[in-house]
Amino acid sequence: MADLAVRLCGVRLKNPVIAASGTFGFGREFHQLYDIGRLGGISVKGLTLEPRGGNAPHRMAETPSGMLNAVGLQNPGVDAFIARDLPWLLERGLAVIVNIAGNSVEDYCRMAEKLAPTGAHMLEMNISCPNVKQGGVAFGTQPDSIYQVTRAVKARAAQPLMVKLSPNVADIAENARAAQAGGADCISLINTLTGVAVDVRRRRMALGNNVGGLSGPAIRPLALRMVWQASRAVSIPVVGMGGIMTGEDALAFLLCGASAVMVGTANFADPFACPRILQELDTLLAEQHVRKLEEVVGAVIEN
Amino acid sequence: MQHTMARVAGVDAIARGIYLLRLHAPDLLAQGISPGQFVHIRLPGAGQQRLLRRPISVMAARPQEGVLDLAIQTVGPGTLALCGARPGDTLAVLGPLGRGFDAGQAQRIFFVGGGVGVAPIRFAMDAFAPGRRCAAFFGFRGAAFAYGIQQAPCPVQVTTDDGGLGARGQVSDLLRAAIEEEPPDLILACGPTPMLRTVQRLAVPEKIPCQLSLEEYMACGLGACLVCACKTRAMDGQGAYRRVCVDGPVFPAEEVCFDG
Repeated sequence: MADLAVRLCGVRLKNPVIAASGTFGFGREFHQLYDIGRLGGISVKGLTLEPRGGNAPHRMAETPSGMLNAVGLQNPGVDAFIARDLPWLLERGLAVIVNIAGNSVEDYCRMAEKLAPTGAHMLEMNISCPNVKQGGVAFGTQPDSIYQVTRAVKARAAQPLMVKLSPNVADIAENARAAQAGGADCISLINTLTGVAVDVRRRRMALGNNVGGLSGPAIRPLALRMVWQASRAVSIPVVGMGGIMTGEDALAFLLCGASAVMVGTANFADPFACPRILQELDTLLAEQHVRKLEEVVGAVIEN
Repeated sequence: MQHTMARVAGVDAIARGIYLLRLHAPDLLAQGISPGQFVHIRLPGAGQQRLLRRPISVMAARPQEGVLDLAIQTVGPGTLALCGARPGDTLAVLGPLGRGFDAGQAQRIFFVGGGVGVAPIRFAMDAFAPGRRCAAFFGFRGAAFAYGIQQAPCPVQVTTDDGGLGARGQVSDLLRAAIEEEPPDLILACGPTPMLRTVQRLAVPEKIPCQLSLEEYMACGLGACLVCACKTRAMDGQGAYRRVCVDGPVFPAEEVCFDG
């Protein structure tokens, strides 16, 4: 059996499988089905400074090999999370990554300050959520704004800072470098791709928000390419995600330079996806006589 | 809640576009299923084009046989794939999920079902109608679409859009007349949104307790992903949206907002 433990910017994960933000709530629902402490980590449902009610229905449309969602960051707010959910999560024995989203640099900074005295293991900064109207360009689309917000939040954060990159950009490598230059301890990618679906019978946009974020295996090749390019552009660790459904998919991301992976949409198709992918990865690595996970990270043979 | 591999015991067309899928799932049934609850089924051959499970309400539970009856309307490729299952196939099923109907102490119950929404209503009738003074009102597009009427435990009145079976018109017309004659203690309803909106308008101003079973696209079915939001008047820390999968699918009629 391979040693699957990962050290991600100082945080020990017992294995590289992390439940992706927005697909796993705060862990309680899936914990009814299995012990979520078996996972390497959880990135919690995206939090904002104030509670948010979210978007009008419909919030989801199924698409070929994927889905579009526009939940609109419905969440109870960071204070309620710290009081009600974080203590429970910290007792589960997995790395707790707190996903934060904001509409201003100050929002992110205030959340980082509120989380600083808690036992949360890491922050994941969502700078690219495509389903919240910001009245302007998202932070995650310009290298300069990525650098600025990363630098400001890093200065206030007590925990390692993971910056979650948007794929809705021209040059992912440049944005990865901007996050690193701003002081990010690691990066995660990819967030969802923006898309729309149309209900042709009603001649209406399928989603209440019109635009949603595309996820699932439909985006996997693109995600893999971006993880590969980003991991070659930076020296900080990379966490890969985008349509991972099996242990083979997870290994592909590791080979392309990811130190750990996040599993999102797969949780909907199979509520046991995370532990199953972990088991499949373990078997695959054993077949390849891998002793330590780091042997495969970035080990893809390029042609 | 249980996740199980259920064997398909039978698939039969029971009306135009509606199939009865019978699943052998004794361990799931052992959990106890109440009317209005649903199961989340993985599509056969999933992992390719259609990833998401389909939430399907229960039409009958037969614990002694270990069989669950589900009525499925073929609305798209996903439900078509489910109805294409063959006896002996296995399907991954998660359930029972959600909050069902609660008959409480009601003695006179009106059951209102429209289209595929008749399925959970029929389950509620079979569970609650014996020993109570009940009546049921079913609406269908036409005679070919009708099902769930035979061997009912209480009188059933039917409407169809074309008058091909029962009265011509809307099921709410019959409900309105029955309420005027003698109001019930409770109304339980499931069907298309326009039907539910009318039932709400008939029941709430008259202070007749009423429960509506809602439908929304779902992803996790467990309450984690927040995609199956419906607008309600109940305010909590997360605003007025509630999750159809775990807070519902059955809601008190006075809490539901149909305005968007």
